[in-house]
Amino acid sequence: MHYTAYQLSIRSDIALPELLSDGADQVATADVDIRLAKVAAGGLADGQQLGPFLWADRQSLWLQVPRVARFLVQGGHTILIDPEPGIDEDSLRVFLLGSALGALLFQRGHLVLHGNAVRIGGQCMVCVGPSGAGKSTLATGLMQRGHDILADDVVPVNAACHALPGFPRIKLWQDMAERLHIDTARLCRIRPGSEKFSLPVARPAGLSALPIRWIYILGSDQGDSVRLEPVDGLQRFRPLHDNTYRVRFLEGMALKAEHLQLCGRLAGRIRLARVTRPKGRFDLDALIDPLLADMAAHP
Amino acid sequence: MGGIYWLASYPKSGNTWFRSFLHNLVTDADTPAFIDDLRTGQIASSRSWLDEVLGFDSAELDADEVDRLRPAVYRWSLRDAQIGYHKIHDAYTHTVDGEPLVSREATRGAIYIVRNPLDVAPSAANHWQLDLDATIARMGRHDMALATSRSRLLEQVRQRLLSWSAHVLSWVDAPGLPCVVLRYEDMLDQPLDSFTRAAGFLELPQDRSRIEKAIRFSDFKLLSQQEADKGFRERPPRAARFFRLGTSGAWRQALGPAQIQRIIADHGAVMRRFGYLDSDGRPI
Repeated sequence: MHYTAYQLSIRSDIALPELLSDGADQVATADVDIRLAKVAAGGLADGQQLGPFLWADRQSLWLQVPRVARFLVQGGHTILIDPEPGIDEDSLRVFLLGSALGALLFQRGHLVLHGNAVRIGGQCMVCVGPSGAGKSTLATGLMQRGHDILADDVVPVNAACHALPGFPRIKLWQDMAERLHIDTARLCRIRPGSEKFSLPVARPAGLSALPIRWIYILGSDQGDSVRLEPVDGLQRFRPLHDNTYRVRFLEGMALKAEHLQLCGRLAGRIRLARVTRPKGRFDLDALIDPLLADMAAHP
Repeated sequence: MGGIYWLASYPKSGNTWFRSFLHNLVTDADTPAFIDDLRTGQIASSRSWLDEVLGFDSAELDADEVDRLRPAVYRWSLRDAQIGYHKIHDAYTHTVDGEPLVSREATRGAIYIVRNPLDVAPSAANHWQLDLDATIARMGRHDMALATSRSRLLEQVRQRLLSWSAHVLSWVDAPGLPCVVLRYEDMLDQPLDSFTRAAGFLELPQDRSRIEKAIRFSDFKLLSQQEADKGFRERPPRAARFFRLGTSGAWRQALGPAQIQRIIADHGAVMRRFGYLDSDGRPI
């Protein structure tokens, strides 16, 4: 089965319904090969252990999700999946399309941000921030106002500081869906038993990589209203680094220098601001309106 | 080196106060630390800590699956150069694999802060924005847990609290766990003794002037004033204040006779053990 995502052609042993099919049954060469195969237990012989379930060397990243699968991501072109007996494909795909594909994008030399990318005019806005800050809600809200979602969760940035389009879905929690008046009855659950759903999003034909113009760091605190505070000059570097997808992956894969260089380049050309919303209540319009105004004021 | 000392307590029992002391003790600065800047490690239930060490999203797992992985995450701290001091509200429980949630190997020990449940109730009612009866009922529920929502993403993973009594006993009677119990009331009445004992257990400096300064810099009035001036990140959104009274015995004004009786009925045995009831079963 053949797909495209992040401007890569992908061949996969398992079906990836979230991704765009490229229509072809047989493609001579694909950029990325996803195979069901044996992945040795116990990590990488000559690699560095980065966590209890994580190893890396210069070419490879080895990841175990206990009771789900072992993944081996190699050279920016191959992902091997060794499923645990009896595990469902949904569970495999969650971690394949998250950590494993994220590692592969690092291996291809991209800066990978943890956030959502949304097209605003001919440019791109990226929203980053900790898990639970409301990034996906914001992206879905912008989509409901007519803006295209470029990437959800994993946002690769190339050397030209363009965000690459991912695949046309967004992960949506039940609470968030209700707030956005989205009926989850017909949506697929991310994993069996999960209250998190896969929402397919419309994707205009030929959506290409877009220059990143704005990055907002979303957070929440006890304040009463949404605050927007620009981050200037040298202060911009750190938040970009901190909001990199799985910073730990970089260590073992010896990608730090490249990564820092890309962070620096990106920091020099974007509008970066912290956006803080009141904790405990989520007034989406009160968040989106000032953001769109800020983007309009800094075209 | 590495490994973890847990700063364990039921919610609203003085954990943040103790962390403020600890931070001031370690930094030994000339001025008190601001409450939003306390750097005394993480909370055991921090999703970002788990995700960072795991390398994949805990949000894609259910609460039981997460619990099974937590010991391995804490064990990873054994590779750190320094000892970690981390807050925890989970009761001392075991995973389905029979392993202590906090990992026996990773755990150097625990400070357990216990506070009179008669005083915990009004404080927790404010924190949880519940009425007193509902709060007291929660404190008696053996299946009580925090951060249980499955329909949205929370910054913390689920924490099993158990009942107030079961929480206390889970820690102080955990087999093989080096544990020092600090009574909140003793921290108020005999601060130098209490905090010196804690510092010694935690392998931290114990010289008197330094401890006294850290006690002064973490004085409740000061913490409360800082919150009044600048706010506090850990205040729940709907509660007016995080730092309320910082006293013991306020329950005499806050609780009615039936509420007092209910707490004693639920927790009498443990209250007696920690000196909150006299031999006739009357609150002290």
